[in-house]
Amino acid sequence: MPNALLEPVAAGQTRFRMQGLVSDARGIAIGREVLVVLPSIDALVSFLGAYSDEASLDDLVPTMTLEQAQRSGGGHATLIRCGSGDGYAVDRLARLATTARGQLYTGGGAVFVRWREREAPFGYDLAVALQPGRDEVIVADVDFLGRYTTTHRMDPVDLIQRLELRPVPIPLGGVSRDPELCGLKEMALVLVAPALAHRVLRYLWRMEMPMAGYYARLGNDTQSSLLLRLRQPRARALDVLSQVPGIELLAPVSSRAAVEIGWRHPVQLASAQSCLPGDEMFLFRGRAGRVERLDGPPRFVDGRHLVESTVGVRLREIGQMRDGDLEVLRVELRMRPGALAREPRAVVIDWDQVPMLRHLVYMLPPAALAAARIVPLEQGLVVLAAPSALGRATPTGLGAGLLLPIGRRLGEVAPGVLVPDGHELWPRVRPALLRHLLGLQAEDHALYLAPDTDPIRVRPEQLRPLDAAVVGRLALEDAAIVTPDLPAVGVGTIRNQRLSRFALWGFGGLPAGGPRPVGEGEG
Amino acid sequence: MARDLRAFVTEFVVPLLAGADVWVGKPLRPRDRDEWAAELGGTSFPELDFWRLRRGQLLAAHPELPAPDHDELGLWMGLHNLLVFEHPDRQRVWAREVTWRRLEGATRTLLTLPAPEDVPTLVARHLSVGAFVDLMRAEVIVPTAVGEIRMPAREPARRFLRAGGAGREQSVPWLPQNHAPEVERLLEDALRASPLTCLLRPLLAPAGSSPLQAAVMLRERGWARAVCHAWARQKDWMTTGGAVMSALLPSLPRAPAPLPAAAGGAGSAGGVVAALPAAGALLALPGAVVPCDPHDLGAIIASLIHLHLLKVLELDTRVGLALGSREPGVLAFLALPLLLPQLASELGEPVPAVASDATAAPVVRRWTEYVDHLAELVPRSVVENLLATVVGRIVQPA
Repeated sequence: MPNALLEPVAAGQTRFRMQGLVSDARGIAIGREVLVVLPSIDALVSFLGAYSDEASLDDLVPTMTLEQAQRSGGGHATLIRCGSGDGYAVDRLARLATTARGQLYTGGGAVFVRWREREAPFGYDLAVALQPGRDEVIVADVDFLGRYTTTHRMDPVDLIQRLELRPVPIPLGGVSRDPELCGLKEMALVLVAPALAHRVLRYLWRMEMPMAGYYARLGNDTQSSLLLRLRQPRARALDVLSQVPGIELLAPVSSRAAVEIGWRHPVQLASAQSCLPGDEMFLFRGRAGRVERLDGPPRFVDGRHLVESTVGVRLREIGQMRDGDLEVLRVELRMRPGALAREPRAVVIDWDQVPMLRHLVYMLPPAALAAARIVPLEQGLVVLAAPSALGRATPTGLGAGLLLPIGRRLGEVAPGVLVPDGHELWPRVRPALLRHLLGLQAEDHALYLAPDTDPIRVRPEQLRPLDAAVVGRLALEDAAIVTPDLPAVGVGTIRNQRLSRFALWGFGGLPAGGPRPVGEGEG
Repeated sequence: MARDLRAFVTEFVVPLLAGADVWVGKPLRPRDRDEWAAELGGTSFPELDFWRLRRGQLLAAHPELPAPDHDELGLWMGLHNLLVFEHPDRQRVWAREVTWRRLEGATRTLLTLPAPEDVPTLVARHLSVGAFVDLMRAEVIVPTAVGEIRMPAREPARRFLRAGGAGREQSVPWLPQNHAPEVERLLEDALRASPLTCLLRPLLAPAGSSPLQAAVMLRERGWARAVCHAWARQKDWMTTGGAVMSALLPSLPRAPAPLPAAAGGAGSAGGVVAALPAAGALLALPGAVVPCDPHDLGAIIASLIHLHLLKVLELDTRVGLALGSREPGVLAFLALPLLLPQLASELGEPVPAVASDATAAPVVRRWTEYVDHLAELVPRSVVENLLATVVGRIVQPA
């Protein structure tokens, strides 16, 4: 059985065989650096993406070096070497490295040992001394020794900028179907091809969209493209813009980076500010497969300076209106037969037919009877199905006007304006204007009892409930309270008279008739 | 309390019956009873007669009541003396403890009455004792700096009650309160003096009382109906019926067991005398044995079954499912309708087997369902026990 290369660190152990290994506050053996050994570049990207989701890469990048290494026994590996902070941060690195199919080691210089695990909660120390070769990194695990020789180094900033974007789906119905508008809800950057710049500006100006923009030369393009910034853009406009070839919508992911919608950078750029050096603006374009580096920070100009105004006329205020000229337009509101069928809202019952109403009242359903109102007039008794809704919610169900088969029916042409059935007011003015023309108050009704008569104004206090008017008054007899002849039997209440000090006088002496049983006696 | 019959009747007896302020004062001596008994026969107390009648009408419309006699007067005086033991001024009375024991003995003498043999006497006893167990106690609550002080109400005191004058009065039921030991003992004597009260309020009945002592009432249809309705009015009718059965079953006299053969037995064969008598032999002399007439026992059982019927008619027969935890008396009470097939020949049927008209049909159906429900709930052993102990005493073998 081979000898173990590592031995677990004991609790409280402060001296280690491996140089550079110290114990932290929790007693965990930790070196100056950590080394993450990853099998491939893909695992490296996964590791960086996962780490940027949880923590900020800005803490890692300043001390991080990426190396492509060759293993002594054959094979390649990607090594991440960075300074180690506290044990908690290394724990997180170890967890993420395991997730990315890698392994984390701690140590310094050229020798690293395995990070702590369940069997060795305080970490590992070397069991035997190791001597690394030239340009060689040795990682010591429990049961094997890995020797890596660096072949070339990679710049992490360069790597992150060169990573290929990954497509993400856009909702089928367009950007507007996404409640977050694909990250464009607050602000959208629009990169417009040079040939489309004017048309897009015209469209957005016509839509009165708040915008700002400037022309930027991208890469080796001969003409400058237009970069627009839209604050809180409308979903409809984004839908239109996203479907136009030559226009790219970019969602800002940090103050200096924007990614085209429908694509995602493998690394959270918001947590990798240090990966975007300088003050340049980076546009990650997915469809074009390019990363545009704009010179300097974007200097947006307000949209009204980007458009050309071609309006040559000026608005002029009205000088004076001619009232008198409208006199020739004045027409008379007349009643004429109409073909439009309306639900009868009232009936006018002649007084000789009123006795029939008494019988018909029994047939009315309770809702219709409760809602019905009557107005006694000289021409007859008007039964309103209900006080007009007058613009409010209309009552449902059949009204008394429809249910009563007698009398002349009135239909409602405007709220509270009733005309004989089969007639209408001409010209057909607006209902509110009709009430205004008739001079009706808020709750008033106007009744045209006949086509050739003037309307009658009915005030709300003149409406009487039908049920209260027709139902005879009931006489109630007062209940006679009978006083019971005999007093009631109750429950007695104990009250105590004052006892004198000699209350038991007479109970103390011996009985006169001889001895008695114990506990019984009388004085 | 003035040593005057009229004052005693006016201040104690009439308020006790009518429900007013019952004044408790100086204890009364048995010698007073003898003196007042003669006066009671010759003096008319119309108010007393009226309130006796009114309280009797709580049971029946036209109760037949005997004139107040020597025994009833002693009962009133005993009840009065019973309350003296809880008088708030008891501590200030100059008397030795032995004197209070003599007063207890004298009170027990007053309360010890012969068992009533007829219905009017039973009712007359119940008038006083029934009103007595319902008494309230007036208490004065005096707010002080350290909290409220409750004390029994008495005549206006000379000290701080009058000076403070801020005490409010409250009436609380007297019987459920904590009592002096003498009161606890005498209360049982008072209840034994009124078998009808023990029958109507079986939960208050003292140990040893039996419903057979008042069974003569249940043999009359009108009084039996009054008793059944009084039971049905009580809050927990099942507990009430169970208490009646609990009191009834132990009081049934045991059937005389055949004595073992004295000669030639196994115990004396070898010349060895057994230390204990053989099984079935009496270990001691029996106590007071209540005569158990089959008709009296049948009347009690029939009344309890009628209580079931009343509750079926009231739709109040929600018999709980936790019968396993119930007392044996309650189980025996619930098992009574299941004895009807055996008792019907003697006691009759509460409802006809077949409804005579449409009005009676729902009642018959509900009663049948109720009996079936009881048959599912009550253990069979309870029914068999009753068949062995009760049914045989009512239904005489042909």
